[in-house]
Amino acid sequence: MDAAEVLDITLRTLQVGVLAVAAILVPGIAVGWLLARRAFRGRALLQTVLCLPMVLPPVAVGLLLLHLLARGSVLGDAIERAFGGPILLTPWAAVVAAAVMSFPLVVLGAQQGFLAVPRRLEQVAATLGASAWRVFCTVSLPLAARSIAHGALFAFARALGEFGATTLVAGHVPGRTETLSLAIYARIEQFEDRDALLLSAVSFVLALAITGTAELCLQRRAR
Amino acid sequence: MNRFDLSAHYPGFTLAAAARWQEPCVALFGPSGSGKSTIVEAIAGLRPEVRGEVRIGGERLDHLPPRRRRLGWVPQDAALFPHRSVARNIAYAANRAADPGLMRRVTDALELGPLLERRPHQLSGGERQRVALARALVREPRTLLLDEPLAAIDRPLRTRLVPFLRRIQAEFAVPMVIVSHDPLEVIALARWVVVLADGRVVAQGEPRTVLQAPEAFGSLLGLAAENVFEVAAFEPPVHGIAHARTREGLQLALLVVPGQPAPRRVAVRAEDIVVATEVPRGVSAQNVLAGTVARAEATEGQVAVTVAVGTARFVIRVTEGAAGQLGLGPGKAVHLMFKAHAVLGVE
Repeated sequence: MDAAEVLDITLRTLQVGVLAVAAILVPGIAVGWLLARRAFRGRALLQTVLCLPMVLPPVAVGLLLLHLLARGSVLGDAIERAFGGPILLTPWAAVVAAAVMSFPLVVLGAQQGFLAVPRRLEQVAATLGASAWRVFCTVSLPLAARSIAHGALFAFARALGEFGATTLVAGHVPGRTETLSLAIYARIEQFEDRDALLLSAVSFVLALAITGTAELCLQRRAR
Repeated sequence: MNRFDLSAHYPGFTLAAAARWQEPCVALFGPSGSGKSTIVEAIAGLRPEVRGEVRIGGERLDHLPPRRRRLGWVPQDAALFPHRSVARNIAYAANRAADPGLMRRVTDALELGPLLERRPHQLSGGERQRVALARALVREPRTLLLDEPLAAIDRPLRTRLVPFLRRIQAEFAVPMVIVSHDPLEVIALARWVVVLADGRVVAQGEPRTVLQAPEAFGSLLGLAAENVFEVAAFEPPVHGIAHARTREGLQLALLVVPGQPAPRRVAVRAEDIVVATEVPRGVSAQNVLAGTVARAEATEGQVAVTVAVGTARFVIRVTEGAAGQLGLGPGKAVHLMFKAHAVLGVE
């Protein structure tokens, strides 16, 4: 296993993580705000369903995604028509799997962040003439930002290490869908323990660098 | 014409209060839990569960969302945006302000210039309240709603904020609704008072008339002990200390801020007065008056002592122990001491 291959797998893993978090950040913030600030029927059900990816075995979530995205399913056919090909066994499937598995972490981070914003500040902003959107952008969001950033960070970390769901929907296509976790598993299966250890070390350094840097940034911002 | 007629039911508390007033400054007065803050929040549109009518300046507001009511709500804790500097807090409502010089005038009037770059956590309680007041004023509100504006501030600093509120009244001519459970604040700031108890209006009228009739409210006010004197002559401040001569001939030192109108009355709270049985020497208090005890009455573990100073009568409160130790009986010669900032100039 040469350096170019390690670099290729590492970059692909980062790409999948970044794209997954980018895809779920806005909807995650919106759902988090909804759960924190609005009372509606089915709120408890929504909260439960959103937490399922954290509770269910990732392989079970992958199986569900496989059926949802397969050719012949409503969603699978719609995607195929829109993008001119199936999504399964492509890097995009890895992004979808990582996004689904990480989504609850963004939602929970946002929800906790918005719950911690004193209502009084939002009320004051409203009496000062701000629209609901302006209150959100200038008061709620900035004050919840730290918690949202933490949620996004955990989601990113979760996406980097995602394996169970990814292996079912993205498969293991070297040079195309192979992320670090898939590559480690494949090397172990092929008794290439040295390569597996090397990739594990890369994962370790990557995780340490990302979470450490992000934590430092967040702490500096808090000060 | 301003009026509210509001009702709501909460567990263990029912609000059913109606009042009307024309004066520019009205106080909602009553003990904790009487419904004052609920009413002021309902006027601001922040209590959707409260039903009824709200009219301010003749215009009906109860069907409007908070942002369209154009009311300057200043909550008890000031509720400054912690992630914004003082300047950006004040500017929050300034986008729509028609008067471009308004922000400058407001920050000047409330003496906030040196604080503009600070964050809310770097401010004292009084400074936070002034910033919240400025932020509400920049909105150009049809009325300011001040919910216990002095409650979060330490007692010695409270009287320093009152002149700012009076200056705002004089300079910006903006009507105010002030929530207070402090009779002295009401006398100092309001021209009309609505007295609340258990969610109902029990009296309303001119503050001095209403609040000096304690028999109407039983032990609610305990106002007989407050000391209010008419001002006969007023000497403008030198280094912040002004002097007022009362009709009874008392010469009292008090703190004022420039621009504050000359007071017509001065008031001193009973518990702000210290009593000595010998001539005090080397004390920092600006006001030291010699008098004689006229009466001493024990009530609820305290003794209300009436002291004659010339023709003026002061009421002070001391503990039973202190009264016994000092021998505060009729005829006893005493000296009363209180600081300049314990003397409140009243409109």
